Amino acid sequence: MTAPTIALFPEASFGAALNCVGIAQQLQRMGARPVFICHPGFTGVFAEYGFREYHLPDPPSEQSEDAEDYWQGFINTHLPHFDLDPLAQLPAYVAPTWEAIVDTAETAEPGLRALLDRIRPDAILLDNVIMFPAIANAGCPWVRIVSCAETEIPDPAVPPYLSGLAPEETAACATFDRAYRAATASAHMRYNQFRARNGLTTLPDGEFLEPSPSLNLLLAPSAVRYDRDVPLREDSFVFLEGCVREETRFDPPPFAVGEGPLIYMSFGSLGAIDTALTRRMLNVFAGMDARFLVNAGGFLEAYDAVPDNVSLASWFPQPSVVAQSALFIHHGGNNSFCEALYYGVPSLVMPYCWDGHDNAQRAEATGTGRRLDRANWDEDDLRYAILGLLNDHPMHARLSGISRQMQDTPGTHVAARAVLSLL
Amino acid sequence: MAEVRRNARQNHIALAKQVLDAVLEHGLRAGDHLPEQRFSKVCGVSRTPMRAAFKLLESKEILEWREEEGFFLTVAEPDALAEAARGLEDMDGSLAARILSDRADRRIGDVQSVSGLVRRYNASRHMVLNALKILSRDGVLTQLPGRAWAFQPMFDSPKAIDDSFAMRLTLEPQAITAPGFALDPKRAGLMRGQMDELLRSREGAITAAGFLRVDTDFHGLIAECCRNRFLRGTLLTHHRLRQATQKDTAIPDFRLRQALEEHLDILDSLERGQFDLAADQMTLHLRRSRNRRSEAATRGFAPMMRGPRR
Repeated sequence: MTAPTIALFPEASFGAALNCVGIAQQLQRMGARPVFICHPGFTGVFAEYGFREYHLPDPPSEQSEDAEDYWQGFINTHLPHFDLDPLAQLPAYVAPTWEAIVDTAETAEPGLRALLDRIRPDAILLDNVIMFPAIANAGCPWVRIVSCAETEIPDPAVPPYLSGLAPEETAACATFDRAYRAATASAHMRYNQFRARNGLTTLPDGEFLEPSPSLNLLLAPSAVRYDRDVPLREDSFVFLEGCVREETRFDPPPFAVGEGPLIYMSFGSLGAIDTALTRRMLNVFAGMDARFLVNAGGFLEAYDAVPDNVSLASWFPQPSVVAQSALFIHHGGNNSFCEALYYGVPSLVMPYCWDGHDNAQRAEATGTGRRLDRANWDEDDLRYAILGLLNDHPMHARLSGISRQMQDTPGTHVAARAVLSLL
Repeated sequence: MAEVRRNARQNHIALAKQVLDAVLEHGLRAGDHLPEQRFSKVCGVSRTPMRAAFKLLESKEILEWREEEGFFLTVAEPDALAEAARGLEDMDGSLAARILSDRADRRIGDVQSVSGLVRRYNASRHMVLNALKILSRDGVLTQLPGRAWAFQPMFDSPKAIDDSFAMRLTLEPQAITAPGFALDPKRAGLMRGQMDELLRSREGAITAAGFLRVDTDFHGLIAECCRNRFLRGTLLTHHRLRQATQKDTAIPDFRLRQALEEHLDILDSLERGQFDLAADQMTLHLRRSRNRRSEAATRGFAPMMRGPRR
């Protein structure tokens, strides 16, 4: 029998991309042939893990303006928005991002259709926040992977997506929900028209991606899951206890001075653009008895006079690093949060956008970490937050239990089994 | 004479660190025998320096010597081995190495004065000058007119590594097709042995540091076999700089193994005298290795890339 071909299509973010790598590694072990459909900017990322890549065409030249100018514009426009609260971010960051996501879906459609005609997959795994008509029309089962926070799947008892609110803050939840629908209305209307043109039904306000009729995989460990008013259908919704890929072994580099616990900090590739914030944090780290590994992303050249107890790099094999760390300072990306839980490491979450707000709230509510406002802190706030988490022994005990439970039922195995059972 | 002794000692320390990497890569356990011949092959050296490295590890209580049986591992826990490796690094921590490491980690800037280094390292002027001479001899540092010293461009950022690949893509295939290229069969055989050993290790066991060492050795061998003196000189200096300052980059296990297979394919072609094919294989190998991970990516916006798309 020929190995089934499973096409994985993660969005252009490292969280989704590497989450899919974990599932693909397990699918391959179970005899399937995973391949990746990827955005031009992700060329080679999946090939390095041994997977065949199919590339969406480059966007038209007028959209692929000089990369430096494009991103300098993005940074100038949006960096100040990352300091806003979730409600204020709706018109400033979330609305334009949804407009850009709809643009991406429309631009990708013809190329994606052509690629799926070439690949002829037996199933498609979509790890994104928006539906692509070519996938619904491909004639094979498609699976929705929710690698953002669980809030992406709405429920009356679950706070609104991207709100950073707790379930009990009902009035604030209602206000945020109304504001979210208003902020996304324009992009949503345009997206529904695009769906209709491509033979798909329209979606309710605020929704850009429907659940798959076949299978939905939610990266939401039981330790941080919400109680829902309307339970999700067990025949098509499968929760994953983390989805950790296998990475190369990481040996911490020798530090110029210093002993003490190893602390890892990464705000993801996007968060790394805020070099001013990172420099402020390095000044605090310099005075602490700990060793810090800091992911500087593509911006290493922005740093000099790095403290002796800090090591910067442009990329870390994150799962291997988190496994050795005593604390993980991150932006609340769902993959980062889940990796911290998977290895029983406390999180200090400094969110700047999207579901980072939701995970920061969830870390506090479940006693698995703390939230620190990225814009409003002084040296003592950061120092005490770090020391508090390092010395919170009840939290460490709780996290050890969570870690054991997650490692006993690896999400990659559960996901791969569920996908193959569709065929 | 003192210089020769210093170099020999540093070679033994480097070799001992290589043995520790191999122990981890092969998942050896306490009580396992470390055959000298096999480790000589793994590390690509003769048995005399291997025995010196084993003796060094014995002095650190990592190995024990049993009469007429050889050397045996006494500890094998990854933490204990990492600690031992750090201990060796401390032994290796000459002032020159510390200065170089601090520059590569962006702790110090690219222009330094002797007095500034005296203050930072709490060392005598004589020790600092000696360290600067060592770094200068290795091509890492140049004395500017006046009292300042300037580091050469280093492998301290993704852009620097990308620039290095761009240069190597131009020069390394040419080094192979330049008239007179002659592969050193003995060294090629030793390289093969090292790469075969790494390929036999279990999945996920190849360390970034172990790969980088073999990779720079392989590309250094290609440079040394080139008969165009300028190509050879430029590439050898460049690979020395890589070895001294390039950070171990985290590359997925699949790509590490694929890269080792590509090295072996290039050696195959060279041994058959198919230089044009080997040069093409080198181009392919370098293109695949040129890691062009996006600098930033977020949903909806095109990822920020390094350099032009290829």
